[in-house]
Order: sequence, then C-alpha cells, then structure tokens
Amino acid sequence: MITSNRRQFLQGASGGFGAIALNGILSKLAQAEGSQGFVDPLAPRKPRFQAKAKRIIFLYMTGGVSHVESFDHKPRLFADDRKAITVDNWQGKSGDFKRYLRRPKWGFQPGGQSGTMVSDLFPHMRHVVDDLCVIRSMVTDHTNHYESTLGMHCGSWTFARPSIGSWISYGLGSENENLPAFMVVAPNEPYAGAQTWGSDFLPGCHQGTRIRPGKNPIENLQRRSLTDPLQQLELGLIADANRRHLVGRESDTALEARIKSLETAFGMQAVAPEVLDLSKESDATLAMYGITRDNPTGFGWQCLIGRRLAEQGVRFIELIDTGSSNNWDSHGNMKDHVKLAKNVDQPIAGLIKDLKQRGLFEDTLVVWTTEFGRTPYHENLDHPGREHHHQVFSSWLAGAGIKPGIVHGASDEHGIGVAEDPVHVHDFHATILHLLGLDHEKLTFRHAGRDYRLTDVHGNVAEKILA
Amino acid sequence: MPCQRTQSLLSVGFLILTLAGNVSGAEIRGGPITPEERQLWSLQPIEDKTPPHIESKWARNAIDAFILDALEERGMQPVGSADKRTLIRRVTYDLIGLPPTPDEVEAFVADDTPSAFKNVVERLLRSSHYGEHWGRHWLDVVRYADTAGETGDYPVRFAYKYRNWVINAYNADMPYDEFVRLQLAGDLIAARANQLSPEDYANHIVATGFIAISRRFGFDVENYHYLTIQDTLDTLSQSVLGLTLGCARCHDHKYDPVNADDYYALYGIFESTKYSFPGSEEKKRPYDMVPLTPPGAEQTAIDHAYGAFDGEPKDARIHKRGDHKSLGETVARRNLTILGGDRLPEHETGSGRLQLAEWFTRTDNPLTARVMVNRLWQKHFGQGLVRTENDFGARGERPTHPELLDWLASRFIESGWSMKTMHRLIVNSATYQLASIEKPDYAEIDPEDRFLWRFPRRRLSAEEYRDSVLYLSGQLALDMGGEHPFPAEDTWGFTQHAPYYGVYKTNTRSVYLMQQRLKRHPFLALFDGADPNVSTAERLITTTPTQALYLMNSPFVHDNAMAFAVKSARLTKPDLINSAHTAILGRKPTSEEIDAGLTFLKVYTERLADSEVAQEARSREALAAYIRTLFVRNEFLFVD
Repeated sequence: MITSNRRQFLQGASGGFGAIALNGILSKLAQAEGSQGFVDPLAPRKPRFQAKAKRIIFLYMTGGVSHVESFDHKPRLFADDRKAITVDNWQGKSGDFKRYLRRPKWGFQPGGQSGTMVSDLFPHMRHVVDDLCVIRSMVTDHTNHYESTLGMHCGSWTFARPSIGSWISYGLGSENENLPAFMVVAPNEPYAGAQTWGSDFLPGCHQGTRIRPGKNPIENLQRRSLTDPLQQLELGLIADANRRHLVGRESDTALEARIKSLETAFGMQAVAPEVLDLSKESDATLAMYGITRDNPTGFGWQCLIGRRLAEQGVRFIELIDTGSSNNWDSHGNMKDHVKLAKNVDQPIAGLIKDLKQRGLFEDTLVVWTTEFGRTPYHENLDHPGREHHHQVFSSWLAGAGIKPGIVHGASDEHGIGVAEDPVHVHDFHATILHLLGLDHEKLTFRHAGRDYRLTDVHGNVAEKILA
Repeated sequence: MPCQRTQSLLSVGFLILTLAGNVSGAEIRGGPITPEERQLWSLQPIEDKTPPHIESKWARNAIDAFILDALEERGMQPVGSADKRTLIRRVTYDLIGLPPTPDEVEAFVADDTPSAFKNVVERLLRSSHYGEHWGRHWLDVVRYADTAGETGDYPVRFAYKYRNWVINAYNADMPYDEFVRLQLAGDLIAARANQLSPEDYANHIVATGFIAISRRFGFDVENYHYLTIQDTLDTLSQSVLGLTLGCARCHDHKYDPVNADDYYALYGIFESTKYSFPGSEEKKRPYDMVPLTPPGAEQTAIDHAYGAFDGEPKDARIHKRGDHKSLGETVARRNLTILGGDRLPEHETGSGRLQLAEWFTRTDNPLTARVMVNRLWQKHFGQGLVRTENDFGARGERPTHPELLDWLASRFIESGWSMKTMHRLIVNSATYQLASIEKPDYAEIDPEDRFLWRFPRRRLSAEEYRDSVLYLSGQLALDMGGEHPFPAEDTWGFTQHAPYYGVYKTNTRSVYLMQQRLKRHPFLALFDGADPNVSTAERLITTTPTQALYLMNSPFVHDNAMAFAVKSARLTKPDLINSAHTAILGRKPTSEEIDAGLTFLKVYTERLADSEVAQEARSREALAAYIRTLFVRNEFLFVD
C-alpha cells in the first residue's frame, strides 16, 4: 500500500531533489523495481497456511483476575465456604498447608444461548458470551507477577525474550507501513515494564510502540520542520546517507531497524493523529464503549483506539488496563475488583459488538487474559482478599477461527487445580499463532547459536476450540 | 483509607513476590553448603596464569594473547585494525562519552609516532569528563536516583552529593577497594582516621549515600524499612560481589551457596545502621541527615549529607519465609560463609559495617576484583567476559575467557585497584583496536562476537547522544551539576495520589539530570537509560519509531541544530558542510557528499520561499535543517 503522502513524496522528490531522496525512504519501491534495496523486515508476509485471523487485539488485565469471580463458576466453592482444606501447593512450594475455602463475593448467571456462567462483576461481557470461547483451564509456571507477566507475554518466566506481539510482527509484518505492526495502548507499565512489549533479540522494529492516554499520546508526533516537502528533503538526505553507511555493515540489524524506524515515524505523523482523532465517531459508538465525547477516558478509550488501529491493519494491538500498582492484585480486599471490572466490562463488550457490526470480527482475534488467577482459599479465615494462584485460571478467545459460545477445559470442584484439558501458557501461545496461520514450531529466530521460538520446546494447539 | 490499603498490599504483596515459584531448568539446592557447591567457578581463588604463547604481529599486549588463542582455537583470526579516525572516535566516546574535536582527530591522524594513541588515551583519562562518563556506569549499577521511591516519591535534596562523589572518585582514580569501603563505612572510617582534612571527612560521610539511596517503600517509610534493607543487600551483593543475595531473604538460595542465615547475618549489620530519612506521605519532612563535620568541631552553618551512621547494634532474627513479622532464630552478624564466615570481634560496639567493608574488599575474596574488571570490560566491549555481569552464581553464565578474566583481576589488584590502569591495559590492546567490519563466515561460527573477532558496534547511550548534540552546538554547560531545584522542603506534602514529579531543564551533562524513581526522566527512558529501581549492569538498547519521532521532531534536536547553524553562519556553504561533517561525524565529507549538501541547501532554501520564513532567515533555516540530517543519521548515532 502506498499512501498518498508517499506518492507525493515520490513525485516531489524525483522532480526537485533527484535520485538522492529516492533511495532510502522508498526502499520498498526500489525493491519492487528490482534494485538492491535491503529487505524490509516489516514488509507484510503471507502466513504459512491459510488462516482466518489477520490481527489480534490482546486485552491484558494486570495483577491477576480472580478466576472464581469472573469466568469459572464453582458451585461447590459457594457451598463449602469457610471449610478448612489442606493444599499441597502454596505459591509454588509443596507441602501440606491448611487453608480455608472462601466463597466468591459475587453471584453467577448464565448468559446468552450458550448459557455460559459469568459472574455479576461482568454483566456486559456476559451479554456477549455467545461470542466467546472461555478457557477455564489455563496454567502458568510462576506465582510472582513479574515472572508470570513475562511468561504470558514472552513465553519465558525468567529471562526477557521477544514478546508475542514482536513474534507476530516478525512472522507477518505490517499491513500498514505508516504504523508499527505492534502497538500497545497502556496508561502505565505493567509488571516487568517495557519488556512485556520488547523484541529482545528480534530486530528492534518488531517491538511494541506505546500509546498513552492524555494530551500527548505519542510524543513528538507533530512535524516540526515547516512543511511536508521540507521534511521529506531532510529525510531523503538522511536515508541516502544511512544506505551508504550500511554498505559493509549489512548484518547489523540495529542499523536497519533505525532506518526503518524513521520511515515508520514519518508515516505515523500523518496516520496516527487520524487514528487518535475520535471526532468522527458517532455518539452511539462512543456509548457502546461506555465513554462520552466530553470524557473519552479509561479502558473505553483504549478499546476504541484498539478498534481504530485494527482498521488500520496494525497486526498486534495490546490494551493493558492498569499498571504495576492499583490493579487486580486484590490481596487486601476482593472488593477492589469492582472498580477494575467496571473499567473494562462495558468497553470490552462494546468492542466485540463494534467489531461485529463493522465486519472486523471475522478476521480479528480478540484475546482476554491476565497473568494468573487468585486463590479460592485463604490462610486466614476472615481475610477478605485472595492471593496469587498460578495452578489454574481463566482466559477467553473470540473472533476469527474460534468456536464461539463454548467453554474449554475445566478446573476442579473448587477451582484449585485443572480437571480437564489443561491449557498451559505455551499452549495458549501455540493456539494464538496457529489462528494467525503461523506454526509455533516453525516460527523461529536464530540467536546465540540456536533457533528460538515463542513456545520454547513446548506448546500444543488447543484443537478443540478451533472453528 | 488509602494508607491501609497500601500497607496490606505491600506487606502481603512483597511476601508473595519473594516466595519461590516453580523455576524450571536448574538444580534446586538448600540446606548446609556442600563442598561441591563451593566448587562454583567464581568462588575459586583468582589464578594468575601466564598468557598463552602466541606468534603474532597483531598482538600488542597480554590481553591479545588470550583473545587470539581463543580465536585460533575456533579457526578464526582478528579481522584487522580500525582506521585512525574510527579509533579516536571510539576511544573518545568510550572514555569521556563525547566526540573528539576536529583538531583532536586531525592531530591524531597526523601523529605517526608510536605513542600517538597512548597520548590520546592519557589525555582522555585526565579529562574531568572521564568521571562523568564512567561514574554514570557505577550509578547504573547502584540504581542511583534523586528521589526515594516510596508512594509519594519524595525528592532527596542531598543525593546529588553522593553522585558527585562517585564522579570525583573516578576522576581521582580512587582505588576501587577504597571506593567500596567508603561507600559501606565512610563514616566509621572517618571517625577512626587521624588528621583527615575537613574536606576528606565530609567526603567520607557523603560516600555512605550508597546506603541511604536504597529504595524506600510504602506510605510510612519506616514501616517498610526491612524492604529497604533488602534493597541495600540486593544492590550491594549484585554490584560488588556479582551475587543475587536477595533470594536468601525467604529461604536458602535455590542455586547459589548462600543461605538464609548468611542473609540475616548481613541484614543485622544494616539493621544496626541508621539511614537518613527522606520524608514520606506519613511524615512529610526528612530527618536524620548526617553532618559533614566531626562531632564537637567548631561549626557555623552545618552542611549535611544523605547518608548512613551507626545505630543500636544488634543481631537480626531470621524472617521466616521473608515475613518480617514471623521471626525465627537470631543470627550473629558475620561475613558470608562462602567468603570466610568471619565474625565480628568480641565486644564490637559498631554495626559491623567497618568489618563488612574489609571482608568484601580483601584480596582473597575472589569475587570483588573479578566482578569489577568484568564491568570495565563490558562497558568497553558491549558485553562482559561473563555476560551476566550481576550474576556470577550458578545460574549466571560462565566466562568466555576465564584465564583472561583472572589475569585482568590479578593486574587490577596488583595496580592497587586502579581503574585507570585497567582502561589503559584494555584500550591499548590490539583487541580494542579491531575494526568492526563484516566477515560472514565468522558470523556463522560466532554470531554474537563473543570471542571478539571484530570490535562490536554500539549505539550512543541516551547520555552520549544528548551530551554530544549539546556539545557540538556549543550549548553544553561544562561545569559539574549541583543540587536540583526541588520545591522548598517546607512545602512538601506529596502523596500517592499526587506524588512528586519534576523535570528540570539544564544544559549540563546528562549524568546531572534529575532522575526519579516512580516516573522515569522522559528522555532517558526513551533512549534506554538505566532503570533507577534496580541495579542495571547492562543497558538493553531498543529501536523504536518513538525514538525516531524524537530525532525528527523534538525541540531539542531542532534547537541545537539551529544553534549550530547560527554559530557557523559566517562560513561559506562548502566550508560549513566540511566543518559540520568533521565535527559531527569525525571525518571529512566526500565530494559527492559536498555536492549533495550544496544541492540540499539550495533546494531547501528555494522551497522555503513557499513558507512564512523571511527571506533573510531562509539560508539559516536551511543550514539548521542540514545539521539535523547529520544529528539523525546512523553514522552519528553509532560508534564503530
């Protein structure tokens, strides 16, 4: 896709400034004409096999959402409230630990035709539950936020590795050369910070670009050179110099990524303000996301920006609701879940409806997850909070390639362990890649003498949930 | 009740945070330290082996013998040496973090004497900019910040004194063992010293800022002092020993031979120490600042530091599973078992920091010298001989060149722990002077260049980029930065809802920028500056379109390019292109580049006719645009 900006640039440059300006910033065109341009690492690539999903909207709830108070209905947990039990795994330590079961603080109701049970914390999501495939058997490897946030994003619980968004950018490239393939809309940094959208050893152009709420969503977005043609002259000279500099340094991906980043930034100046401008959205649309024209904030704003990025062909859009504090980590009191649920419930339901009415739901995969669940029990009988729980938790998938309105996997009667069809984070990742037409065993990158993958040496596609 | 919520979050959250999870892939240990565990490579005595015998015209010193030997073993040879222009740019950035001036470049290129490069190195090591550049490296490692990091992120007015002490210590080539001892126990060493000048006395006190800058937590900082001590121990063990001691807070270390009793033996030393109090949401004002004059000395206006001093000496009790409310047995204050387990002298009335400072810097401690020479190597070559610079434990990586590491550590100790001696050794080696060119067949054998068949190219750090642009445009203030213009102390009332936040404009070097814990400095964060919350051994370099937007559109780049244009306005256009190239890129432009530059200036000026820029200003505007193209290109952003 050549935008009108680029076309103008091409014409302007060839008219006034000659060949110098043509080389770098138009590398893609040069390549198409058979000259020796470098290979653009963000050029769109075909998936390995035909797939329905072209892009992902990844909704990440920071801090650990209680599974037994969201999507995993446990009648026995209600019935066995305050009952003493012995658990053999306490925050990753084995032994015999006496704990008290605590009933969910909110009731559950069936939703839609499927009748999937959803807690009263999420009435709007319950309304669209027929579009969701709820997974009640998620498993992760670590009980700490930092490690499990990293695990959910990078498939590694110890060291930072390329994040899932950067793997997908690497695998599929960008459909819009004026925007990064991977964008993160986040008011704050989650645990493990920017590593969650980092590219680590993958070329730097694959890392997530962050958009923040507020007056200045992307710093320095506005052109400061006086006119477009003037800025294009500057960039043309830079691009040419960079290409000459690259001769004899071809293997250095950092240089290439820097060149690419200038091209993307140039495109972003024109495209990003349009994406961020909600003035053409109708009041009805804003209302679906639970926001108003006067006060377009919170997760509703994030979801609407997410949809607009999806329309622009951004490959991986991550929306992070909170940061490393004031999040779902309700150790002190489960009631803290209320305002967090309120922030995301209607916007997420609105996003699903909006994607559907615009025909985007067919080729967009929507993922809802968190780093782990919360303990169905507590050490102290009357404590109103819940601790971290990594042995089982809930997530959901919706949209392209997914069987809608089903529940996959199950936890045991109290929501303590997996009872059937475990979906480890590696399996989750393998499934997501599969839905995009990527084979998680074949999407590799040679680094430090071996081929790395998002799923390391693990991962099985959850075949049962594929449409 | 926000405070209560925070407290419960903190107390439970931090407990959970430090409990063990299922970590896959390594042997999990615990219990008494076994003889096998003591076989960990980094705990073995430093062996000063003779460098391998090699036949080579390329080699210049012993470092090269070790490097060449390892290369040849893998069927490789050094790719050849860098040219002189590349070399002077590289060494100038590496030692002082600024570009060489055109005169310096030309003088070096013209100097054919054998000592030409050595002379450049000596000049750079004498420069006060050396300490500003290398001191920042230590500040990364000790997670320096100008705020406390608790819920209100209270400013720490006097933190800068510690920062400046670090810079001065590097410039003075203070022996590294003394450098460490003063940070741990400067106050105690000062109290025992005879005839310390008032200035030295004050500096000894300031050095203990290392302890005081530990991160603070929570609403009422004093309630979470146990976490602050943990932060001290974490940082101390990683920075000086290359050990991740923090794990032993809740249980015996799962991988390294360090147990919970070792941890609480050291914990007791810091629990017996008072830290200056920075202020907090609960108690708005700082206190316990340390006077910079000895007790009893005549004093008018007393100057203070943010530092540490001895409190009530006592041994700590083990916090069972890291829970400070669940106390176990008392552990006597002592050295780590693996470093000798030395106990405090009987009847010792101090905290034990004085002894700790000795234990950690004894020459028979195999870690301290190895860890520091590895850091120096890392900053010169982009990666350490041990790539996990903060982790020399069982889970860290092994050295690529163990004998070279030991040889360097031996020279370090032999030189009286002189860091400048180590720089001289390293940069005068042929290995440091290698070209950074391509060699595809070697890239197959050693893709990460771990064996140094070529010199690794690197991007300028955030600080280097900002400082260079200011320097080249003539805007850099060369004086040492001082106290930050924080709001007056009597107005402080920062809370978690309205925490302290500030960004202060200054044209001093970036090491003097105010760095906050809870909100990163926007520029430093954008270009991968160190995280002021955790020890940063090595900065991860990212490439993002948001960085590109900064380069294209920030007022900083535009203003400085204009300043450069204004100061060069008298030159003819070809002369200007020539001098800008030489200053910014360290080389003369080719004739094609001059032509391209002239065409650019002409076309740019013509197109300005369509804008509102007055005719007389157009040429300057075009000039500034041209300078920007130099400030943004890869040749400037990267060092070969």
